[in-house]
Amino acid sequence: MDFLLLLISTGLVTGAAYGLVAMGFAIIYKSTGVVNFAQGEIVMLVAYIGFSVANTFHLSFFPLLIVMIPISMLLGLALERIFIRPMLGEPIFAIVMVTVGLAVILRGVTIMIWGSEPYNFDAGISTTVVKVGGIPFYPAQLYLIAALAVVTLLAWLFLRFTRMGISMRAVAANETAALLVGVSVSRIHAMAWMLSSAIAAVAGLLIAANFKLAPDLWFQGLKSFPAVILGGLDSVVGAALGGIIIGLIENLSQGYIGQGMREISGFIVIIVVLMVRPYGLFGNREIERI
Amino acid sequence: MKRLAMTLAAFLASTAAYAADPGVTDTEIRIGDVNIMTGPAAFVGKGFSLGSKIAAGLINSKGGVNGRKITVITEDDGYIPARSFQALTKLIEVDEIFALNGTSGTANVMAMMPLIEENNIPTVVSQAPAAIVYNPVRPSVFTFGASYSDAFYAQLKYIHEKNPSKDAVFGIIRQDDDFGKEVEAGYDRAVKEFGVKDGIRLRFKKGTTNFSAEAAQMKEAGVTVLANGGIFAGAGNILGEARKLDLQLQPAEVWSEGIPASAKLLAPAGYDFMVADYVSLTGPANDKFMEMAKQFVTADELKDVSRYTYASFIGLTSLAAAMEKCGQDLTRECTIDNLRKLKDFDTLGLSAPVSFDNPEQHSGTAVGVYQYNIKDGKFEERAGFQQY
Repeated sequence: MDFLLLLISTGLVTGAAYGLVAMGFAIIYKSTGVVNFAQGEIVMLVAYIGFSVANTFHLSFFPLLIVMIPISMLLGLALERIFIRPMLGEPIFAIVMVTVGLAVILRGVTIMIWGSEPYNFDAGISTTVVKVGGIPFYPAQLYLIAALAVVTLLAWLFLRFTRMGISMRAVAANETAALLVGVSVSRIHAMAWMLSSAIAAVAGLLIAANFKLAPDLWFQGLKSFPAVILGGLDSVVGAALGGIIIGLIENLSQGYIGQGMREISGFIVIIVVLMVRPYGLFGNREIERI
Repeated sequence: MKRLAMTLAAFLASTAAYAADPGVTDTEIRIGDVNIMTGPAAFVGKGFSLGSKIAAGLINSKGGVNGRKITVITEDDGYIPARSFQALTKLIEVDEIFALNGTSGTANVMAMMPLIEENNIPTVVSQAPAAIVYNPVRPSVFTFGASYSDAFYAQLKYIHEKNPSKDAVFGIIRQDDDFGKEVEAGYDRAVKEFGVKDGIRLRFKKGTTNFSAEAAQMKEAGVTVLANGGIFAGAGNILGEARKLDLQLQPAEVWSEGIPASAKLLAPAGYDFMVADYVSLTGPANDKFMEMAKQFVTADELKDVSRYTYASFIGLTSLAAAMEKCGQDLTRECTIDNLRKLKDFDTLGLSAPVSFDNPEQHSGTAVGVYQYNIKDGKFEERAGFQQY
């Protein structure tokens, strides 16, 4: 029983990481129809920026987060303005290819600035093991689970009750109709990139704190892809839930089947989901292309 | 006509380069280095290239190889085998190198092998001492370094002999690739020879960061001695999860964890882990090397000195020793011949003496065992260089 609980608890941690990254994918897709293949790289970049900020100003986690969220939002806005805005009106495929190019650029820039050496990044979080119901956790792991819950709740409230959130849903539902009723689609696109980058800040700091800070952190983006497919590409809350499910599936399959099953189980889920329910658990049925 | 012929003959006689292979002039010998200078593993390549630079500096400060200065030309392969092939093509066709010292990883060496063989390039492989490189033997290729198998066997032997507990449970976690197979071969040899309990064998895909399930599996199996086949951040994440579950472990690590930057990644887990290596990680030889290196590299570069630096330093100095014996008539064939005869070449104590005079043209197989002292943040020698 202890073994099962350990697998579930750590599966939740992994799933929370996937969920946060997946939410970033979903916010941009929902508002712009574009799969941002640079999402993992943005997570990596903000983690590195956070590392430098933390080292320079010796901030503990919450002040660091307060500083990093606006920085990340500005970064997201800048990326949207420089790389995506000029592509407005171009085919979706071309915009997706721009995000692929952006991903490669961000990887290169990160190594140019911070080098390729991996680092420990405590992000101002204690490393003393704490027990919850007898199950050991690092505080950063608990922060990760809590962060997913808080961000999911905030995203739901934002999309459901705020004027901007409703505008985003309107653009997602029908861009032309939204334009006709006075919604600034370009502003919505920029806001989507900013919000996605804000979530990337939370994800980046906590993933780096849990799994070291290294240039291959971008890979979390790829690893989170099954979560966003499972939850539904246009469902922000679904992506969060998809992350948790994928995290649990991976850990349980590794624990009980073993021998590298964790690495492929998420992608097996993608294939099954695409065959049975291509729009995911909570996605819109109209999705036909990526 | 006779005068013209005599002038031509005199010109040819005065320019050794015309008689020699590419990369050699009266004043210079060009040595190629294909290395990992970009990407996540670039700090390995940086350390490695530094070794070539220090070796060239040292040799040149003593007048070079029979008066010819060594120039090292480095090409980046980003740890991608296809790029290694392109890089070596450029070194051969554009830079016209004479010999090769830096050779990147195992798959990268193998990608370059057709070019090395076709051009008969004297090559010292010291970063990828895998069996596939020296078996079958290639005439111009000389390999320096021990196998991962021996490195893990050496550590597990030391751990077992130091504390031969009947309750010890051995376990292994390793990458699901050829490197991991070599790690497991050493582990396999150890558990069979020592008759200890073989608790668990775990495999993972390259690039894995989360090892929580594996740590739970190790705890379930009661592992007390771990052959940790993770590298860099991965190795740290494995030990981090083990510590969270309060596993009382003696970890044995891959030699890449002997790099100060890697050791820092493992340190927070709190285990005094072991590393076995074919180059010395600590001691008077390393101190002397650092003092000497200051003459040839900047203070910033000096921070990147690692075990890979020692390996490439040994590679280039042994290559130079073979070239030296050719005198003024430096050719690839002569260099290869002298490398084949190289015996007990002194590496300034950075490794066991180099001898390529064996059927595999393979040296440096003696392994030393070191333990990282968490309190001091330093490695301590536990067993000197031995053959396993």
